[in-house]
Amino acid sequence: MDFSTLTLEIGAAALALILLVVGLFLPDGKKGQVGIVAALGFAFLLVLSFLAPGSKGPFFMGQYMNDGISVLFKQIFILGSLLVTLMSLRFTRRFEDARGEFYVLLAFSLVGMMGMAGATDFLTLYIALELMSIPLVVLTAFEKGSMRSTEAGMKYVLLGAMSSAILLFGLSFLYGAAGSFGYGAVMAALTGGQTGPLVVIGGIFALAGLAFKVAAVPFHMWSPDIYEGAPVPVTAFLAVASKAAGFAALLRFFPVVLVPLGLGMTTLIVLIAALSMVLGNLTAIPQTNIKRMLAWSSIAHAGYMLLGVMVASFAGAAALVYYLLVYLFANVGAFAAVTAWSELSGSDEISSFKGMWKKSPLISTVFIVSLLSLAGIPPAAGFIGKFFLFVEVAHKGYLWLVALALVMSVVSLYYYVSVIKTLVSEAPEGETSKADIPLALRAVMLVSAVSTVVLGVLPGPVMGYIRNILSTLSS
Amino acid sequence: MIGLTHYLILAALLFSIGLLGAIAKRNAISVFMGIELMLNSVNINFVAFNHFLHPQFLAGQAFAIFVIVVAAAEVSVGLAIILALYRRRANTGVDELDLLKW
Amino acid sequence: MNEAVLLCLIPALPLVGFLLTGLLGKKLGRGLSSWIGTLTVAASFGLALTLFIAHPDGFAASGLGIQLFDWIPAAGLTIAFGLMLDPLSLIMTLVITGIGFLIHLYSIGYMKHDEGAPRFFSFLNLFVFSMLLLVLADNYALMFVGWEGVGLCSYLLIGFWFTKDEYNAAAVKAFVMNRIGDLGFLLGLFVMVATFGSLSFGEVFAKAGAMEAGAPALTLITLMLFVGAVGKSAQIPLYTWLPDAMAGPTPVSALIHAATMVTAGIYMVIRSHVLYDLAPIALTVISVVGLATAIWAGLIALSQRDIKKVLAYSTVSQLGFMFLTLGVGAYSTGYFHVFTHAFFKALLFLAAGSVIHALSGEQDIRKMGGLAKKLPITYITFLVGTLAISGIPPFAGFFSKDAILAAVYARSPLLWGLSIFAAFLTAFYMGRLFILVFHSKDRTTKGVHPHESPWTMTVPLIVLALGSTAAGFLGMPAVFGVPDWMAGFLAPSAGEYAVGLEEGTEWLLMGISTVVVLCGFIFAVLKYGPGKVVPTEDKKTRGPVRWSLRKFRVDEFYDALIVKPLFALSSWLFGTANDRGIDGVVRGTAGLVAWVGGRVRLLQTGNIVFYLFAMTLGVIVIAAVAALG
Repeated sequence: MDFSTLTLEIGAAALALILLVVGLFLPDGKKGQVGIVAALGFAFLLVLSFLAPGSKGPFFMGQYMNDGISVLFKQIFILGSLLVTLMSLRFTRRFEDARGEFYVLLAFSLVGMMGMAGATDFLTLYIALELMSIPLVVLTAFEKGSMRSTEAGMKYVLLGAMSSAILLFGLSFLYGAAGSFGYGAVMAALTGGQTGPLVVIGGIFALAGLAFKVAAVPFHMWSPDIYEGAPVPVTAFLAVASKAAGFAALLRFFPVVLVPLGLGMTTLIVLIAALSMVLGNLTAIPQTNIKRMLAWSSIAHAGYMLLGVMVASFAGAAALVYYLLVYLFANVGAFAAVTAWSELSGSDEISSFKGMWKKSPLISTVFIVSLLSLAGIPPAAGFIGKFFLFVEVAHKGYLWLVALALVMSVVSLYYYVSVIKTLVSEAPEGETSKADIPLALRAVMLVSAVSTVVLGVLPGPVMGYIRNILSTLSS
Repeated sequence: MIGLTHYLILAALLFSIGLLGAIAKRNAISVFMGIELMLNSVNINFVAFNHFLHPQFLAGQAFAIFVIVVAAAEVSVGLAIILALYRRRANTGVDELDLLKW
Repeated sequence: MNEAVLLCLIPALPLVGFLLTGLLGKKLGRGLSSWIGTLTVAASFGLALTLFIAHPDGFAASGLGIQLFDWIPAAGLTIAFGLMLDPLSLIMTLVITGIGFLIHLYSIGYMKHDEGAPRFFSFLNLFVFSMLLLVLADNYALMFVGWEGVGLCSYLLIGFWFTKDEYNAAAVKAFVMNRIGDLGFLLGLFVMVATFGSLSFGEVFAKAGAMEAGAPALTLITLMLFVGAVGKSAQIPLYTWLPDAMAGPTPVSALIHAATMVTAGIYMVIRSHVLYDLAPIALTVISVVGLATAIWAGLIALSQRDIKKVLAYSTVSQLGFMFLTLGVGAYSTGYFHVFTHAFFKALLFLAAGSVIHALSGEQDIRKMGGLAKKLPITYITFLVGTLAISGIPPFAGFFSKDAILAAVYARSPLLWGLSIFAAFLTAFYMGRLFILVFHSKDRTTKGVHPHESPWTMTVPLIVLALGSTAAGFLGMPAVFGVPDWMAGFLAPSAGEYAVGLEEGTEWLLMGISTVVVLCGFIFAVLKYGPGKVVPTEDKKTRGPVRWSLRKFRVDEFYDALIVKPLFALSSWLFGTANDRGIDGVVRGTAGLVAWVGGRVRLLQTGNIVFYLFAMTLGVIVIAAVAALG
């Protein structure tokens, strides 16, 4: 067995353990330094993922896979973890001596996400999914003093457990029909033979469980509440990395296991995608809290991205990865701006953004760029991301779906622009405390905004890289 | 002779009872217990399929053990949160948690 | 230097200007960043002019193209970042950079006392860049980026004084309405991808040429693209944002909302004329919408009291004329009006800005009057602009409007009758505006001392006035015996077009239109001239009874027969049809969407048990769908 396949996973797990130990040895009051070690560690992993992404191929008798998809997704997860860590260096002060654990949990969750991207077996998938989710639950409820944070944690753990149960129930039927947990074996067993009702029910339950992770309608209800209640950096992490992990799993699971079950599965995913786009965008409009609004917007984006899963092709996967990257920078930018602003104003209500432009042009610019990207306005990257995805959907023949997605993205403009409108309007009363943004947070904001613009203007090189990795590492 | 079908029916019943418990109960701990029942029905499925249809490997039974372990981890986190909740509210009713809505 | 490099530099220079003034604006200071912004556009103009002089035929043979890099590499559809110069885009570039330069120059004086000047110039440069991208793009995707970019800049520039709520609302409205149009444009692009598998002009036109005329896919594409044009060029029903956009600074109104951005829709249709020629239904729709808009907006302009709003509605109306012309297939004629309109409308706006500047921000024409002597340069240039837009010979508007009328007549005398009515309206409301501002009694607020503007503001006025006088000679009708340079120049891009009327008919049409237009102008002079009605009484036109209490001698006849009904219609259109009709529908739709959002939101009760239940229900529903589907 060639353990170099697992280079990145081993690295992330080692990092989590190292952080745990470092946290133990730091004196009280200095625990914040764990964050710096974590940031360095994530940065190292990111570099490593380019230099030595691990040797290609299946591992553990086909339970695990390291190929183009998993390498790209791992890079997205690491990037997300790095940005979120940098964003929260100052933010975590409020957790006092539990600060160290914050980063440890982040790292463990990262290991789980990597597992989800690599899993080609039900058992691996389940373990990885829980390894990702359980630390996320703790992170959500991390603000012990806050009732909202605790409530969000409660909701997450209960709904998450329920969705796991549903997923497992489905998987058990698929196992019964195929006699194996490996995706490949399941596909081989299902394509040739008959698919009885139990198998179809198994497929539907499994789809529901995974749709929960990407927060697609009608399995989305947890996400607005949890996004609102969780500490801002955790919300960013949920919106970016956890959602990407859900898509990584779906991207493997859907074409290999679900599609062979019959055409109905494509209809279902189209339905779920359409519902997510419509409901997410409509409900985002009346929101007054920015985290909650972004939660609904991320439900809508899950709808767009599901289209990439539905296409189930090489080009579709490439478009989806590109979209996720664009979405990552836009969301991190927006949440970093919210973090910076809420440190200034103490509020994350949209109405508190009045006067932001006057007070801090930096925060406002980053915010505006990110929102425009989410809305899909060129030259911000969101436009190109949508373009790639929708072209694939159009090629597949679903023009009405493209039309719906476009109409919905015009609807989405309504709420994105009204946030921009609020932040450029005059402050009610001019108390002018100077904007004091920590260096790391500033860097995160700048990196996100610049990347958003660059990905929008020059998509070629990154798309080329994605294609290249996908094709050279694919089996 | 008790066969696969009986086990599957038992599991389906258990799943439904657990689901009903999770939906109908108002107490966080009871909801958790309902979900535990659902997970146990999954275990029955795995073990039964393993025994009757695919006895050559013990894969299904191994899966059941993993489910038990992971569920324990999940519940421990859940109980910790319930505890935090109880400290502040002195009750564990889930239907009173509605600070976050709309 | 290599010509392709020059071509790239044309849009690149304003981009550099944008980056410099945007990033270093504070350090450079107001004066320096204003000049950087202005000079980069001037340099672009110089480059475009160089290319034009080197190739007076505008690269008619094959166009000058350059593909910089593979921009969007989607599978099976690679879109290059390519620029292209042909007669149409060359002349468009000249107009954008030339008039853009004059407006930048004007803005130096206009924005002198504004601390936001660097930001203003950076946005203005970004606008010029986006607009150049729009016209120089060699494929629809890149064109869309420019298309969207100009919308964004318009949003930024209207909301320039964004602390004021009213401006902000106008900016958002402009943005959202434009996006409704853009939705159509995008849908058209995706249908195009599905039909032709390409977005580059050359390939699409070649493949479309092989298709049958009237093919459903072509009709769909062209109609969708036209929806985009309707939004961008402010046609019925998406025109209401343009008058509201007048809340922005006046140079912005001149550049974006009169001379360039709003003509993007027309440019796009001409660019796609190969497709439109194959879609007769779309052409019919275009001509109907254009004519309706020309009359509708002309009527509304009659009763406006804000100097910029009159000009805004007049822009909408003129754009309607242009679309009407495109609809009858006379693409180069339509473009000719775009060309002359750019001069005189920019001139009118800048002159209006000069008036507003002189009166310290007053925009209500009821509080103007008698300014002729106090602002002599503004007065004369405004007069030139008025005569040009009204279509009085020999000013530029006469030739372009005459060409339009002839083309329309060749198609249908009925359409011609309606268009000449619209031309009459133009002369009438422009005459009214002119008299009320510069002649008639001095009604300016006490304490305001009107003063002529500095040279940076008057020089552009003079240059534009010269242009408004001379631009028409580039497209003289054949009956004058002078070659129609414009039609010949544009033919490679816009297709050949000949009116095909007899010489006598053409002279007759020209005579009729001149007489009608003069009548309109003279009516206005009679009605508002010295010693006549005090313009504050405009209000009373709403009440017919009070109106008739006024004593007019000869006026009474045409008042009762023409003016009164017209004004009543105008008020109705502006009030009811505009507010409750079109705006109402837009607002209503937005409101409905928001309302639905507000209802759906209530599903999110916050109750975990309900969420668990909903999840179960979700599983059941998708299982049912799978079972049925």
